[in-house]
Amino acid sequence: MLAKLRQRDYQILIAFIIVAAILAFWRPHVLISGLQRGSLYVLIALPVGIIYGILGILNLAHGEFMMLGAFFAFSLVTLTGIDPLIAMLPAFPAMFVVGIVTYRLTIKHVVRAPLNQFLLTFGLAVMLTEMANLIWTTRPRIVWVPYAASSATIGPITFGTFEFVYVAAAAIVLVGMFLFLTRTRAGLAAMAVGQNPRGAKLVGIDVERTYMMIFSACLAVLGPIGALFLIRHAIFPGVGGPFSLRAVSIVAMAGFGNLPGILVWGIGLGLAEAFVRSFRGWGGWADIIFFGMIILVVFYRSYQRRVR
Amino acid sequence: MLVVKGVDIYYGKLQVLWDLSLQVGKESVGLFGPNGAGKTTLVNAIVGLVKPANGEITFGGRSLLPLETHRIIREGVAVVPQERELFPFMSVLGNLKSGAAYIPGARDKIDERMRFIFDIFPVLKERLGQLAVTLSGGEQRMLAIARSLMAGPKLLILDEPSSGLQPSLVSDLFRRMREIREKEGVSILIAEQNVRQCLRAIDRGYVIENGRVVIEDSAEGLAHSDHVRRSYLGL
Repeated sequence: MLAKLRQRDYQILIAFIIVAAILAFWRPHVLISGLQRGSLYVLIALPVGIIYGILGILNLAHGEFMMLGAFFAFSLVTLTGIDPLIAMLPAFPAMFVVGIVTYRLTIKHVVRAPLNQFLLTFGLAVMLTEMANLIWTTRPRIVWVPYAASSATIGPITFGTFEFVYVAAAAIVLVGMFLFLTRTRAGLAAMAVGQNPRGAKLVGIDVERTYMMIFSACLAVLGPIGALFLIRHAIFPGVGGPFSLRAVSIVAMAGFGNLPGILVWGIGLGLAEAFVRSFRGWGGWADIIFFGMIILVVFYRSYQRRVR
Repeated sequence: MLVVKGVDIYYGKLQVLWDLSLQVGKESVGLFGPNGAGKTTLVNAIVGLVKPANGEITFGGRSLLPLETHRIIREGVAVVPQERELFPFMSVLGNLKSGAAYIPGARDKIDERMRFIFDIFPVLKERLGQLAVTLSGGEQRMLAIARSLMAGPKLLILDEPSSGLQPSLVSDLFRRMREIREKEGVSILIAEQNVRQCLRAIDRGYVIENGRVVIEDSAEGLAHSDHVRRSYLGL
């Protein structure tokens, strides 16, 4: 499933490296902000990819769960006055519990019903947004910490340094998930369940429990991610929506079940977006480029299939 | 060991097993019958994939009915389903290890079990690094049997082990089943349509038709029964 980069990903990776090299000379700040933004996408898309690969559920509410994590951190910060970075710690178990409750109440009942899970997770997304509206209102919230605005200057370019935590976090989550899935017994059980749930039962794996743990762990990761997001962005109930869309799109572009592809496509789309934004007055096109690329990839795939 | 007593099973309103009883002690037992007789349903009921409406299934004196499938497997029942149910994108080694990794007693004995398995299925040793999906049908069958043996089961259930295998492999397979029975002391239950070949591997057998046991006899007795000779051996 995630054993190796597919050959196609290598080609895309090489293409990206060439593009990155050109950008490095032409518009170096695009390279940096693209990498930072892309890492955030990777962070949010990776759990979506894992949930899809193992439970076969495409979670359309993932961005909304991140929003929930961010608001949890926000409430903690405003109520207790702790640093948002410390709020990452309780956010993890809190979102884990949210994951278990969500799984038990809803996901569990649609694991083998493809259309229903779409409707369910879409409904969850709407419900979470509306719930956040009631609790925290639509007013954008920010927390201000001095290090969030830190920046560095190298030669002619100046860039924010805090956003590099997204790059670091993406690396940690990617490596962590990879090690978990390939080195631990629970991870291997998850891989087995993803490939053949019935076969997994027959070797003594508790499939139901594996589903719950994987789903909850993937939501738990969103707690700290939400706290990190909060440090640099204003949050409001609708803030997760675009991330849900992007995460699902990146997973689709990588090809379902292809985790390294998520890394490549997430960073690639971050770069493309940053590139468009770097032209003054054209920033609004960024989303159109993003989803335009997805349509192109899907066309290209079906074209390839027909040629073969 | 395994006792199935008065089991009724329904799929919706359709009753597929009728007051079915059988026993497997320290022996090899065959389960014969045409398509749709209820062999696979019975196998699925033993490992908890379907739950009977009435009756009792016990293993070593303990009821299996309240247990979920993975718990039944951990009790020492191993099953090789007709569809093999391997993990296609794991290596042969990964599949073998998965057979022991989730069984509390078998976890520490992986190396020992592997030696035993390579003794019976040497071809798997050559294929260790290959993905399961790249194996031939016969090799996949061997891998499925090997994977279930990794758990060190007390009872091994095989559902149609000969299906999809070329005839020369079938007799080979049943010879190996005898070998496993003798070396391991494991009880074996084989649900099979290939009665002629299977009779060589078993001590006793049942014939089920339309969800009911119609004959119960020794392998010798079955081979000489008129009904079996006419309906299953084509004599």
